[in-house]
Amino acid sequence: MRAIIILLTFLTIGSINAQSSYEKGMGKAFELWGNKKSDEAINLFERIAKAEKDNWLPYYYAAQIHITTTFGSKDAEAIESRLKKAQDYLNEAKTLSKENAEILIMEALLNTAYVAYKPSEYAMTLSPKVEQLYRKVKVLEPKNPRGILYHAEWKMGSARFFGNDPKAFCPEVEKAILYFENESHDTPFYPQWGKNEVKRVQKNCKG
Amino acid sequence: MKLTLTIAFISLLLSVNAQTTINGNVTDPSGIPIPGANVYLEGTYDGGSTAENGSFSFNSSETGEQTLLISFLSFETYTLVADVATMKDLKIMLREDVNSLGSVVLNAGTFSAGDNSKAAVLSPMDIVTTAGAAGDYIGAFQTLPGTSNVAEDGRLFVRGGEANEANIYIDGLRVFQPFTATTNNIPTRGRFSPFLFKGTNFSTGGYSAEYGDALSSVLSLNTIDEPDQEKTDLSIINVGLGVGNTQKWKKNSISVNAFYLNLKPYQEIISQRVDWIKPYESLSGETVYRHAFKKGLLKVYGGLNYTDFNLIQEDINVAEGVNFALKNRNTYLNTSYKGSLGNDWDIATGTSFANDYNDIKIEDTDVNGEENSFHFKLKLRKRFSNRFKLNFGAEQFVNTFSEKAEVPDFGTFRSTFDNNSTAAFTEANVFFNKKFAMQIGVRGVHNTLLDYTKISPRASLAYKTSPKSQISLAYGDFYQAPQQEILKYDETLEPEKSSHYILNYLYQNDKRTFRAEGYYKSYDDLIKYNTNTPEFNSLYTNEGEGYAAGLDIFWRDNKSIKNLEYWVSYSYLDTKRNYKNFPTKATPNFAAKHNLSLVTKYWIEDWKSLVSGTYNFASGRPYNDPNQSVFQNQKAKAFNSLNFSWAYLLSQQKILYFSVSNVLGFDNVFNYQYASTPNIDGNFARRTIRPNADRFFIVGFFWTISDNKTDNQLDNL
Repeated sequence: MRAIIILLTFLTIGSINAQSSYEKGMGKAFELWGNKKSDEAINLFERIAKAEKDNWLPYYYAAQIHITTTFGSKDAEAIESRLKKAQDYLNEAKTLSKENAEILIMEALLNTAYVAYKPSEYAMTLSPKVEQLYRKVKVLEPKNPRGILYHAEWKMGSARFFGNDPKAFCPEVEKAILYFENESHDTPFYPQWGKNEVKRVQKNCKG
Repeated sequence: MKLTLTIAFISLLLSVNAQTTINGNVTDPSGIPIPGANVYLEGTYDGGSTAENGSFSFNSSETGEQTLLISFLSFETYTLVADVATMKDLKIMLREDVNSLGSVVLNAGTFSAGDNSKAAVLSPMDIVTTAGAAGDYIGAFQTLPGTSNVAEDGRLFVRGGEANEANIYIDGLRVFQPFTATTNNIPTRGRFSPFLFKGTNFSTGGYSAEYGDALSSVLSLNTIDEPDQEKTDLSIINVGLGVGNTQKWKKNSISVNAFYLNLKPYQEIISQRVDWIKPYESLSGETVYRHAFKKGLLKVYGGLNYTDFNLIQEDINVAEGVNFALKNRNTYLNTSYKGSLGNDWDIATGTSFANDYNDIKIEDTDVNGEENSFHFKLKLRKRFSNRFKLNFGAEQFVNTFSEKAEVPDFGTFRSTFDNNSTAAFTEANVFFNKKFAMQIGVRGVHNTLLDYTKISPRASLAYKTSPKSQISLAYGDFYQAPQQEILKYDETLEPEKSSHYILNYLYQNDKRTFRAEGYYKSYDDLIKYNTNTPEFNSLYTNEGEGYAAGLDIFWRDNKSIKNLEYWVSYSYLDTKRNYKNFPTKATPNFAAKHNLSLVTKYWIEDWKSLVSGTYNFASGRPYNDPNQSVFQNQKAKAFNSLNFSWAYLLSQQKILYFSVSNVLGFDNVFNYQYASTPNIDGNFARRTIRPNADRFFIVGFFWTISDNKTDNQLDNL
């Protein structure tokens, strides 16, 4: 009897271990990312993604790190190989979770990164795609704060390009702030980032 | 007993948590450590990243046989299946991913314009925003090196070749009549509208075994796979009206566009050197339907074109001129499927069909011609690895031609032929490493009309000499059946033949590209005849021959000056041939020794304007003066043209467009026509062949209507 209890305990511990290794791994990956060890974080997210098999989140974050790393970079070869890899990760994520607004937002950011990197080549061809992605996000999740915020920023950018007033989209930013306040998810590690970007976007609304 | 159990459990616990250390070192092929590579056991959380010196070490509680994976950007993923216990002090060398940026490309002879090609020197945008091209898809290619400026014709003349030595393909399938019907000295245009295409491959020589029946050049166009959005495009220009619409639903999309062109109002304002009775009028429409299957994409492209004009052509032998009237109707259908068959097999297949009907009236002579052409192609590709790919396929061409000429006082002449040919090709693509690649192929063709079978080898090599530069070589034999005008009178000839030898140097560095290509091309078995033009009783032989040698230089810089993009093309061409009715070997009229193009595009942010200027220069082209004893030894004066265009964005979706060709009004001369008989002084009189008008003006308004307000037609101008 006692043996059975011990055995059960072990099994439970085992399953708890399994549960927490995902959380531990994800936690560790975020920690690496926080400590500016981006590539190690990507590697860990990739390992988790490969081990979990049906979870889109680690792929999503691996892609996000690649994309954000290219902002401000000047190394053409690095930018292109990172964005290509990021697209691969997002494609994997999409096969695991279809019609997912968060993944589409990330894809819009990925295309924005291409436009930022070589506007002469990509602005004309990818702009309609970015717009289309944000529109789809609004259909899927009308109250997604990241979708609202980044779409507003994108539209501010093109308004400025065409000599229009970017402030026209400031009410959208206000909406995003409100949705950020109300955001909550049950799934651990579900994307909740973006609140800190509001200030940067709001700079367009001053003066 | 209790104790034994506890011990058993403890040892079980220990064994569960027993850790094996996995360690080793990761380097690239030259032994340089790779830091930051991802090393892990597949399906577990156990792994780590390599350190600065390429070393890694991590613990795992896994036992027995496991899969160790090592991945890193721009390298192939490494897999090791072994017992975990043996994974110690591993020395792992990663192979470079030959598909990554920075790999060598097989590009001798080729200009790519597309999103994905690593050797792309032009983007699709460039092709259509070039001043002077006036929205003609072909016009922009005439600013690339290797082409000769033959402004009175409008087609592509590549490296000393005639225009009919260049073939055009859409989605891998032959386009039989790519140009609008026209007559002597009235330049033609491509039939298709630019905005249906995304990628382009323009080969000026040494092309793949997939393509045949072209001595000089292959231009391959790919239609858009998936349009970004639903939209309606309206274009109102001074010579016509256009409308386009794109719809998307589920896995389908369809794009339709129509264009009506009428030069009458324009020619009433701007005087022309040609005496038009009925100015050029045409109606054209195109449709592309696409359907995405789970593992492939089906595209159906259809084009219809109707052209009508009537004019009096000046002629030195006929004082009052020659009346020429033409009605042309062209239907083109192209269905292609591209997809994956699994297991690294890919398939590309399709058919194209063209019906071309001409009703020509030259004075009192009536010529009615009809041509039906059909092309079927099946191509398979097996990817054995990133480094070795094999293509093979077969194609069938069926061509029937019939013509009826009614000449008053002489009667009716009929000519018909069926020109069918079958071809098979195979090509292997080998990457020895990231720096060195080779493509080798062979093509066999059998023609039933002329009853010949020809085998042509093709090969190209490329070697990366530094991270920014590479050299490549290409060789190939090319055969082409004689043209329709010959085939209708003689069906016993051999095909014409050319061989290409190409050496290419490419330097690419952050928005700057330098490309130099030297070539030698030999021509054999060219068709000769003993009359001024091919006639039913002429004597035809394959005894012609010739050569072309030259150097093509291309320089593009998008960096040095902010908001300015420009490219310069220069071609040097030395060519002579003895063909048609030439008495000796000579340089033909279409071949200028020096060709130069400068294309500039400047974005003026404050004005929301894209301003573009193109300058074309061609040295004087040779012509024959029968008053001289030496054949074809005269040279016309040099050709100069400065073209300008200005696109102004009224708002994000409305564009005002203005363009003018030959702004400075250079008085260009293409050629001379000499009288067929001498006058009383014993001299042959001549007339100058000049452009129909010195300048051409376009004023247009382009409006895109879509839910998404960011798209416009700037990329179509």
